Amino acid sequence: MKKIFIVEDDKSIRDELAKLLKNAGYLTEALTDFKEPTEKILSANADLLLLDINLPELNGEIILKEIRSNSDIPIIMVTSRTSETDEVLSLSYGADDYITKPYDPTILLLRISAVLKRYSKSASNLTYRGWSVNPAKGALISENNEIILTKNEMIIFQLLLDRQGEIVTRDALMTALWDNDEFINDNALTVNISRLRAKLSDAGHNDALETRKKQGYILK
Amino acid sequence: MKITDFFKDRVFIYISYSVTFGIIFTFMNAFHTDLQLNLITGIIFLLMAAINEAWEFFRKNGFYNDLRDKLENLDRKYLISEMIDEPSFAEGKLFRDVICEAGKSMCENIAVYRKNSSEFREFIEMWVHEIKLPVSSLLLMTHNNRSEISENFLEQLMRIDNYTDTVLYYARSENAEKDYLINETSLKRVVSNIALKHREMLLMHNVTLRTAGLDLNVLTDGKWLEFILGQLISNSIKFFSSERGPEITISAKEFPDKTILNYKDNGIGIPDSDIPYIFNKSFTGENGRNGARSTGMGLYIVKNLCDRLGHTISVDSQKNVFTEFEIIFPKNDFYKFN
Repeated sequence: MKKIFIVEDDKSIRDELAKLLKNAGYLTEALTDFKEPTEKILSANADLLLLDINLPELNGEIILKEIRSNSDIPIIMVTSRTSETDEVLSLSYGADDYITKPYDPTILLLRISAVLKRYSKSASNLTYRGWSVNPAKGALISENNEIILTKNEMIIFQLLLDRQGEIVTRDALMTALWDNDEFINDNALTVNISRLRAKLSDAGHNDALETRKKQGYILK
Repeated sequence: MKITDFFKDRVFIYISYSVTFGIIFTFMNAFHTDLQLNLITGIIFLLMAAINEAWEFFRKNGFYNDLRDKLENLDRKYLISEMIDEPSFAEGKLFRDVICEAGKSMCENIAVYRKNSSEFREFIEMWVHEIKLPVSSLLLMTHNNRSEISENFLEQLMRIDNYTDTVLYYARSENAEKDYLINETSLKRVVSNIALKHREMLLMHNVTLRTAGLDLNVLTDGKWLEFILGQLISNSIKFFSSERGPEITISAKEFPDKTILNYKDNGIGIPDSDIPYIFNKSFTGENGRNGARSTGMGLYIVKNLCDRLGHTISVDSQKNVFTEFEIIFPKNDFYKFN
C-alpha cells in the first residue's frame, strides 16, 4: 500500500482527508506539530506528499524548496489562495501538481493516482486476462486477436483495470473522462460502457464487466 | 490672463488715479502754476502710471499664464500645487501657500482612504481564503459520508464557493494593484480546469459541453480567465431553455494579430433591448427579473477583469436561440518579456 503524507494545518480538513485517502486504499500520516517540518516529512518515508501552502510556522513553498533539495518524493501542492503566481512558483520549485481548495475529492484522488503512476518504476498493470493493453494504440491485443477501443472506452477500461475487482463509481469514471477533456454526459457514459461490455464479450469475456446497481462497475 | 480683464479688474484704481490727477490739477490751477510745468507733471504722472500698470500686468500675466499651461498639461490636475513657481508678488505668494496647503491636506485625506481600501481588500482576500477551509472540509465530509442528499449538499456548497469567488474577484478587479500574472496559458488547460470544477453542476443539468480548436496558447492570467469562463458557465446554467437539450460550445480561432475565444450556449438568449447594458454594474435585465436570481455583478466583474487583462469581451444573442460571448486576446509582444 502506498503511503501519503498530509501537511495541512486545518484539523477538520486533515482528518477528513485522512479518511478519504484511507477509504481509497492508501496509508496516511499527517503532520500535527509544525516545528521542523522538513525533517519530519522526510523521515516519514512516504510515497507522496500533500502539502498546504499556508502553514502556521513556515510557508509551504519554502518547505517545498527544502524537500526538493533533499528528495524527489512526488508532491502535490494544495492551497486556498487562488493566484497564478502561487501556482507558477510552486511548479517551478518542483511540485508535481497543484490543486486549489475547495477541491473535488474525486479529482484529488485521480490526481494522486496519476502522479503515483508517473513515478512508479514498474509499469502499471497492463495486461488483462492474457490480453496486453496498449493505451497509445487504443487496443487490447492477444496472440491472434485485437480489440480496438475508442479513447473514451480506453479511459474507462484503464480506470477499471487499475482497480480490478473493486467497485468503481460512475462518478469516478465520469471524473476520469472529464479530466481527459472528454466532457461527456450521463447518457453517453452509459452508451460507452455498454459498447465496452459488448467488445469485451465479443472477445470471449462475457462476465468481464459487472454492473452493481446504484454503486458502479467492477472489472473481474 | 486677458488684458481687458486686467483693466476691468483695476477700474477702481484708474478712477482714483483720475481723481488724484484732477485734484492736483485743480490745485495747480489755483496756484497759477506754469502751463508747461503742469503738462510735464501730467506726462510724468501718466508715464509712471503706465509703467506701473505694465509691470503689474506682465508679472501677473506671466505667473498665471504659466500656471494655466502647467494645469492644462497635467494629467493629474490635483498635483498642480507641486508645480507652482514661487511668485514675485505678495498675493501670488498667498495664493500659492493656500493651494499647497489644500493639496497637502487632500493628499493626506486620500492616503487615509487608500489605506482603508487596501486594508479592506487584504481582509477580503484573507476572509475568502478562510471561508474556503470550512467549504473544503464540508466537501470532504459529504464525500466521505455519501447519502441521498449528498448531491443537494454539493450543489449548495458549489454555490457558496461561486459567491465567494465573486467577492474575491470583485475586490481584485476594483483595486489598482497589479496582482495578476500574464503568461502563455493553454486555453485547453483553462477550459479543462473550469469544466472539471463545474462538472457536477453541468452533469446535474445534463449539459452537453463541446470544445473545438482549443490547442492554442494565449497571453492571460489563467486563474482570472478561469473565473471569467466560470461566470459565463453559471449564467448559462441559470438561463437554459426548457424546450431543448442544453448545450455549451467553447471554441477558439487564431488570427495573425489576435486569438478569439468563442463561448456559445443555446439558452433563452438576451432581449435586444438589454444587450447594451449587460456589462453594467447591478444590471439584471429581463432575464434576471423573471427567472433565476441575479445580482447583476457577474458580467460587470467579467468585463472589468477583461479590461484589466487587455482582452476585449463582446456579446451577441438572439432571444430564445442562443447567447454568444467573444473574448479577444490581442497578440502583444510586449508582454512576452514580462
